[in-house]
Amino acid sequence: MKSDHNPVLEAALKIKLLLVDDEPEFLETLEKHLRRRKINTSVAEGCKVALDILEEQAIDVIVMDVSMPEIDGLQCLKKVKEKWPLIEVVILTGHASVKSGIEGMQGGAFDYCIKPIETQELVEKIELAGQKALINKQKADAES
Amino acid sequence: MTNSLLGRIKSLLGFSTVPQLSLEELQRLFTEKYCNFRELLTANNNALEAMAQMENALHDGRAFSMAFIRSNATVISVNIYKMIQCLVTMADGRYGMLEERFADIQQQLDNIINHDVIKVEGRWFLPLHEATRELVDLAGEKMANLGEAGSLAGIRIPPGFVVTGSATRYFFQQNNLYPAINRIFQQTDPSNMEDLHERSNEVQSLIKRAPLPIDLEKQLYNQFDQLVQKSKTPVKLAVRSSALGEDTRQASFAGLYHTELHVDRDDLIYSYKSVLSSTYSSRAMIYRLTKGFIHEETIMCVGCLAMIDAVMSGVCYSQSISGRPGAMDIFFSAGSAKGIVDGTKDTQHYLVERSAPYGTIHQTAESSPADARLMDEWARDIATAAMILENHFGTPQDIEWSINKEGLLYILQSRPISVAGKKERDQVGKRAVNEHCLLQGEVTGCAGTASGPVFVVRSNLDVLRIPKHSVLVVEHPLPQWAPLLRKATALVAETGSEAGHLATIAREFGVPAILSAKGATKLVNGQIVTIDATNQTIYKGRVEALLQHDQPKNNPMDGSPVQKAMIDALQLISPLHLTDPTSPYFRSSCCQSLHDITRFCHEKSVVEMFDFGKRYTFKKGAAKRLVDNMPLEWWVINLADGFIEGFDSGSNYINISEIISTPMLAIWEGMHAYGWAGPPQASVRGMGSLFFQSTRQPGIDPAVPSAMVQKNYFLVSRNYCNLSVRLGYHYAMVEAYISSLRTERYVTFRFKGGAADERKRVGRVELLAAVLEHYDFRIEKAGDALTARVEKRSQAFLFNRLKILGYLTIHTRQIDMVMDAPGQYKRYLDKFLLDIEEMIANEK
Repeated sequence: MKSDHNPVLEAALKIKLLLVDDEPEFLETLEKHLRRRKINTSVAEGCKVALDILEEQAIDVIVMDVSMPEIDGLQCLKKVKEKWPLIEVVILTGHASVKSGIEGMQGGAFDYCIKPIETQELVEKIELAGQKALINKQKADAES
Repeated sequence: MTNSLLGRIKSLLGFSTVPQLSLEELQRLFTEKYCNFRELLTANNNALEAMAQMENALHDGRAFSMAFIRSNATVISVNIYKMIQCLVTMADGRYGMLEERFADIQQQLDNIINHDVIKVEGRWFLPLHEATRELVDLAGEKMANLGEAGSLAGIRIPPGFVVTGSATRYFFQQNNLYPAINRIFQQTDPSNMEDLHERSNEVQSLIKRAPLPIDLEKQLYNQFDQLVQKSKTPVKLAVRSSALGEDTRQASFAGLYHTELHVDRDDLIYSYKSVLSSTYSSRAMIYRLTKGFIHEETIMCVGCLAMIDAVMSGVCYSQSISGRPGAMDIFFSAGSAKGIVDGTKDTQHYLVERSAPYGTIHQTAESSPADARLMDEWARDIATAAMILENHFGTPQDIEWSINKEGLLYILQSRPISVAGKKERDQVGKRAVNEHCLLQGEVTGCAGTASGPVFVVRSNLDVLRIPKHSVLVVEHPLPQWAPLLRKATALVAETGSEAGHLATIAREFGVPAILSAKGATKLVNGQIVTIDATNQTIYKGRVEALLQHDQPKNNPMDGSPVQKAMIDALQLISPLHLTDPTSPYFRSSCCQSLHDITRFCHEKSVVEMFDFGKRYTFKKGAAKRLVDNMPLEWWVINLADGFIEGFDSGSNYINISEIISTPMLAIWEGMHAYGWAGPPQASVRGMGSLFFQSTRQPGIDPAVPSAMVQKNYFLVSRNYCNLSVRLGYHYAMVEAYISSLRTERYVTFRFKGGAADERKRVGRVELLAAVLEHYDFRIEKAGDALTARVEKRSQAFLFNRLKILGYLTIHTRQIDMVMDAPGQYKRYLDKFLLDIEEMIANEK
């Protein structure tokens, strides 16, 4: 008696994901890994580019670094949540601190992860965030 | 409180206060609540895993860094924050006090683990003769000791200056090096030697490439020029490390930082940056990690000393490390001391009395007569200086010295001897010498015994390949092998003396070491040997008689700042005070640790989920009656994707073949595995009780099919099932979520009530508990109520547990009536175990 069918994984395939980081090499590697798992992934080198993409594309989940020049991840999170509250944001940082972790969560992040992270673990987090984004949408539709 | 009171009044008056929802509303509510529940469970799991990682690291003797503590504390905090948010959402805003408790604990935790870079303020340069112990924060340990030594009568030090920690900080800040370095190391896995080497090189080249601020550069050249002016002869410098925390009794950092010799004006900037960058050499990083130093607290100061044109140099231990009382060691060789401390030069040894006139007790025979005559004289000078330094600093000293062409003695370093020396040869060792002896060395670097496979290191690449618990064999005991001592069980080198840097570090780490063991590199890789370093002997195979006398290895982290931070942090994280959910103190305001908060959130979230069926009812039509031949009514409500595609949602009935909820199918299989034998033959008194209960609640006798029979509900999705059942006079609930993610999987069972008196009802709960414990459930009992849980196991394991619960739900009906009869408990226990074993035998 196995549970082969997994609606969460299937839902993950429909997620539109945006990766935001200031390191192009990191973006490229992660994008490759996620595309291999058939997750529909876009990338943005920094917050400004990310905000431009959000104006044009429907995104469900964002995976974002904290320390970025110009606009840091926590500020960027605030901007995203103000304008697109249904999007779920997973923070992925190389410089963890309890303070920034809690600030991120208070700012509405779905999760706060620390680099280095196994791709599988990140994918699971993206799936959960995607499912939450889907519920956000359904709830918003029901309320409207 | 008002709502609750109103609810009770309404309930007493017979008005239902439970909201009635359409199927769509019910499904949406379930999905939302369940999503929160799943998030909470995952967060709980993440937090507990990180707690376990911290506990394990503290107790299993491994080395860990502040970055490790910070990462795990962050994972724990973030996940607990998430648990609180999920619980508060699930409970419609209740448990708000948790946030307050969390903020309080988290603030205390932050104070422990967030160390800013130490703010060293003051002059950029100090003349060496002005450096004192009071200025240790500016000059670093090595230069503060040396400067102060120079102020003592009878001690001569070379002229020079110190580039202070304040200058280092200025240089790093001007180039934004601190955040860049932290970022690189945060992402480094310290247990992965290759990764560490790579990251270390990255950081070192970052420092070497960064330009020295122009004002600092000008002043550095100025210092050099002033030194030349004073000396009136050409000057070359020894540019040496002098880090905070280096050269202490607890940690020598012997040979781990870089030294540049014969530096002229043109090479000054490069040499200065090379020494600074060696703060982040992989060997220094690993040493700091092993010894529990806080990375951010390592500030490098740099000493620039005029080179001494040495005819003889060496090391003196003012108290002999052989442990012989009243004696000191003097190791020496011609030229500079470099060959002695890195173990590449043959070294002579004098054992000298600690009191005037410092007579020679013993000397190595190899000295030429001329050298021996000179050394007899110089040994007295060296011993005199050593005792001046020991008396001044108040502890036995490890002293580096040189004698120049004019025969003048210069002290180049004086630091406390880090660890007590070797033991005398022991009897056990002597007895074993003749049996299976492979090789005999000449010098004990660190006393002790150990056994393991040989690993001969010939190149830097071998560093990455050394297996754990190997006997490390090298030609020369160079400081660059220091990181390997973390993995090695013992050290053997073909050359070297007790005075070498690697021997010093072996003693700090408690790794038995034999030096000057000629032919050691011819040992075969992988061969198991036993090292008796106390008696400088290597044996073939594992010699248990020797190893029995082995002392437990030191934990180099004991008493270190990082270990203290870990202990303090865990005090706020791991103690569990909220153990009993039935206690009046099981309240959010009583959470004293982060573990308490996770326990509270987990317990309350389960309650919130279990109350789902109680808090919300559904309108007629939401439930489908299951077509079955049992004389009971089973109804199924599809919460998400529990029915086959294409099922006619207008139908009032459903067949079991149309259900694809895997947990429900497992329960159903258990229910139908064996026919129910009917109610047990109860005693007259028992029957009286049953009749009494039946007269009060005639509609709940499941043995009698009637319109009044209680409906039993399955709430299902593909991976989820919640079965609420009232069979006879007891209430049971089975709930399970079994998906492909192990962390989410769980099976829960609740059972309460019965028709018999309390003693018998409790007897049935005891019986259930015995069966369920036999199948690895965790049990909580309170009177006639029982809760059983099992989680995060394989899918097959959990499906079997659901079959067992299905079986027990049917077969424990009414048996409470006979629970006081002699032998009944045993009879039912045996029968249940036998049936269940047969039922799950196929799966096994």
